[in-house]
Amino acid sequence: MNWKSRTGARLTLSVVLAGAMGLTSLASGASASTKTKAKAKAKSAVTLVVEKPAAANLSETGSTLLYPLWNIWAPDYQATYHNVTISTAGTGSGTGIADAASGTVNIGSSDAYLSPTTLAANPTLLNIPLAISYQAIVYDIAGLTAHLKLSGTLITQIYLGKITNWNDSAIAALNPGVKLPSLPIVALHRSDGSGDTFIFSQYVARQDGAQWGAGNFGTTVTWPAIKNQLAEAGNGGMVSGCAATPGCIAYVGISYLTQALGDGLGYAQIKNGIGQYVLPTPSSASREAQGYTKITPANGTISMVNGRVKGGYPIVNYEYAIVNKHQSSASDAQAVRSVLEWAINPKFGNSSKYLSQVRFVALPMKVVLQSFKQIKTIK
Amino acid sequence: MPIAALLFVVVVLAVKAWPAIRVNGFGFLTSSAWLPGNTYGGVQHVHGVTIPAGARYGAWPLIAGTLQTSAIAILIALPISIGTAFALTERLPRWIARPVGFFVEILAGIPSVIIGLWGVLVLGPYLAHDVYPIVANHVPNVPVLRYFSGSVGYGEGLLTSGLVLGLMIVPIIASTTRDLFLQVPPLPKEGAEALGMTDAEVARRVTIPWVRSGIIGATVLGLGRALGETIAVAMVSGSVLGVVSPNVYGTMTTIAATIVSQLDSAATDGTGFAVATLAEAGLLLALISIVVNLLARRIVSRSSRMSAPVGRA
Amino acid sequence: MAIDVAAYPRTRWRRGKSLVFRAFTMGSLIFVVGPAVWLIGSVVARAVPTWRWNVLTTMSQGTGGGLANAIVGTGVIMLGVLVMAGTVGILTGVYLSEFAVRRSGRAGGGVMRVAIDVLAGFPSIVLGYVGYIALCVGLGWGFSLLPALMIVSMMVVPYIAKATESALRQVPTNYREGAEALGMSGGYALRRVVVKSALPGIVTGLLIALSIAGGETAPLLYTAGVTNNLPTWTLLHHPISYLTYYIWTDWNQPTAAAHVVSYDASVILIVMVLALLVFARLVVTRTQRHTEGAR
Repeated sequence: MNWKSRTGARLTLSVVLAGAMGLTSLASGASASTKTKAKAKAKSAVTLVVEKPAAANLSETGSTLLYPLWNIWAPDYQATYHNVTISTAGTGSGTGIADAASGTVNIGSSDAYLSPTTLAANPTLLNIPLAISYQAIVYDIAGLTAHLKLSGTLITQIYLGKITNWNDSAIAALNPGVKLPSLPIVALHRSDGSGDTFIFSQYVARQDGAQWGAGNFGTTVTWPAIKNQLAEAGNGGMVSGCAATPGCIAYVGISYLTQALGDGLGYAQIKNGIGQYVLPTPSSASREAQGYTKITPANGTISMVNGRVKGGYPIVNYEYAIVNKHQSSASDAQAVRSVLEWAINPKFGNSSKYLSQVRFVALPMKVVLQSFKQIKTIK
Repeated sequence: MPIAALLFVVVVLAVKAWPAIRVNGFGFLTSSAWLPGNTYGGVQHVHGVTIPAGARYGAWPLIAGTLQTSAIAILIALPISIGTAFALTERLPRWIARPVGFFVEILAGIPSVIIGLWGVLVLGPYLAHDVYPIVANHVPNVPVLRYFSGSVGYGEGLLTSGLVLGLMIVPIIASTTRDLFLQVPPLPKEGAEALGMTDAEVARRVTIPWVRSGIIGATVLGLGRALGETIAVAMVSGSVLGVVSPNVYGTMTTIAATIVSQLDSAATDGTGFAVATLAEAGLLLALISIVVNLLARRIVSRSSRMSAPVGRA
Repeated sequence: MAIDVAAYPRTRWRRGKSLVFRAFTMGSLIFVVGPAVWLIGSVVARAVPTWRWNVLTTMSQGTGGGLANAIVGTGVIMLGVLVMAGTVGILTGVYLSEFAVRRSGRAGGGVMRVAIDVLAGFPSIVLGYVGYIALCVGLGWGFSLLPALMIVSMMVVPYIAKATESALRQVPTNYREGAEALGMSGGYALRRVVVKSALPGIVTGLLIALSIAGGETAPLLYTAGVTNNLPTWTLLHHPISYLTYYIWTDWNQPTAAAHVVSYDASVILIVMVLALLVFARLVVTRTQRHTEGAR
């Protein structure tokens, strides 16, 4: 193995942001860096360093939407920090929150922030924004190439069983010129607890609270008892289930859009808070997120759904790491800090090298710094 | 040790379920609502228990789903198992009956997740595409058979679950029945044949009555397995909560499948009420299958002198 | 049963019924064997075209990669169950067969017997729930080997106990009498003579318990967790992988690589479990021949 060139590559990567001085303590060879780091820390208020961890085995579980990202993050992080191993698992945001709260895993991943009751029961839990994601509404209608326009009201009526066929006049009225086949609609929802269910139900609750129920949102919600429905586990289940079910409609995290398109599914333009129909793209999601950057609180808890942003896609969310402030050991805590610091760093985990693979959007710098502060409280 | 383990399990379940039993009350057995409540909203207090605002649980669809799938499984598995046992003991020559009998026996050992995988990837789509539509289009509109008409769905649902469960319990019932048939002494059978009975009549009047209670016992053992089966049902049932399927093809779920698919999300309910409700559901399921199981063992131990193969499920 | 000879003349109607009965029995057999062959065949058929041998040696990457960690993990779980459930199960079986009735009378054995029966009837997911709530979360053990072993052991102890008990009961009385006549103490005779001749039956029970442990999914999902790394040989706080997790999770992922993992895990598991069961059967037939020959 070519030691020199690898170390060199690391040093060029270890640039500290926001003009602040400092070195990231990268792996073997950079032994002097620990001292330098301490100095650098004293100089600047916030320095985006990545700590050099002691040996640890970490486990991550949760959001199936973050799972593909963790699967490309973990090997690269471990390639730099050989003494840390990270096991990843895509089990749904519900598990991510629950297992982080119960301490069965070090890092839980969730597309949803913590609920007040969960926080009240587990006051030491943090939700730390790691990246920005958004959600596509997909459907399986053979031969349809156009992106259907769908509003919250239409989607609500589909999930309430009031609209049962794709050639319904209400859908046709929104989509003039689109040839809609006579095909029964099958409404898919997640059987597991899911952040995608959270943002989806929040979207319909805000778009049409009268019909859907303004308070009916969460990682698990009450699904109307209608005939043509199916429940699927995970985003993967939603995509493969939808692909196997002609006439289906499903909500899918954006990192699964590539697979959905590969399986021949179409995706919709969704009505945002000011009545525009917008396609889910990195730029439309980024536009929506920017509208919320200023008001994102220090603990990261905010919903970015149905915003009144021009050209903004209305189902956007922060992807969270759910972490218990009190880890079982100091070395675990340090390793968790290190992994998360690496993940939010625009030079490493938050670079487009990783995010573009899953169609995510990088955190704005203000939110990166907020997340960093939260990470530093993990002990 | 087993006694301590059992006590531990029962105590944990009972303690966990107690708040849910108090809040859900008897309605738990009859109501169809599966409402997690507004987990991001306020809380409310019922009977001194803190629950999310609007949370209300009724397990009727789960109970119905559990009983329906198990009933379908038994209705299919019982006759087929008896037929198979006859084929193995009376029709086939010994050199072929032995390996085939062994094959049937080891089928009981195929992990249920693999049966579920086959059920959802191969069997379900095949049935929904090639079999169910034919059945649904040709059944007359009379009671019972009416449930076989209507929308056939997409292969995940009640009938598919029942069929998969049936396949899982056939080996249990068939191999026990075969062993029982082998115990029937040859003299009465030969005597009946000498009286001019056909083999069908010997079967109906001599062989089956001879071991009837053993067959019942094996069937109830199979039923116990069907009631508690989790993973395979979670894969092929459609996992839809809160609905009793309107026909035999509809999506549904069972108590066991609900626990496995909902425990995670239940744990996100900060009040702990959803987890408590699942404990109540688990307790209910345990009660049902324990009663069934004890019944089976009572019958089997009374009827069969051979104790070895019967307990194997 | 009062049987009148004249009641059974060989009419065409009755011969027809008999034919129908024969057709039904053979049809039933086909209905059992057919789907089973279809099942195994279709799983194998999906796995074979993409089969790669390095699946046995490389680590999982979640939705891709190999299964070495899961194969070893399943092995470790089986081994642990063998030790834990084997000890408890055999001791319970010995107690039931040798001591329960004679020494402590009906009551003691009765409670144990009921406990075993009730435990055997407990749905596995309910045990898994208890493991997750009480052991992983309640005691703070996290997803790890020990809670998984405890829960799976609870499931299989009844089988081992039953198998041990009935194997001990089938030991001929004259063996015991012979041992006694030779002046062996009760415990010594039990160890050297009785248990030894009941060993094949006990081994069969253990092997069947192992095949159950290897094929279990639901209780492990909530006790063992999952990891892409090899087992760490620690009992607590470190998750451990197993084959059924990858079958259960990866069939539902939208990538072909994940499906391959699911099918490969299925085939490996089928081979493992069937090998165990065939081996168990061989143990039985060999000893049957042995005892028949001795007579």
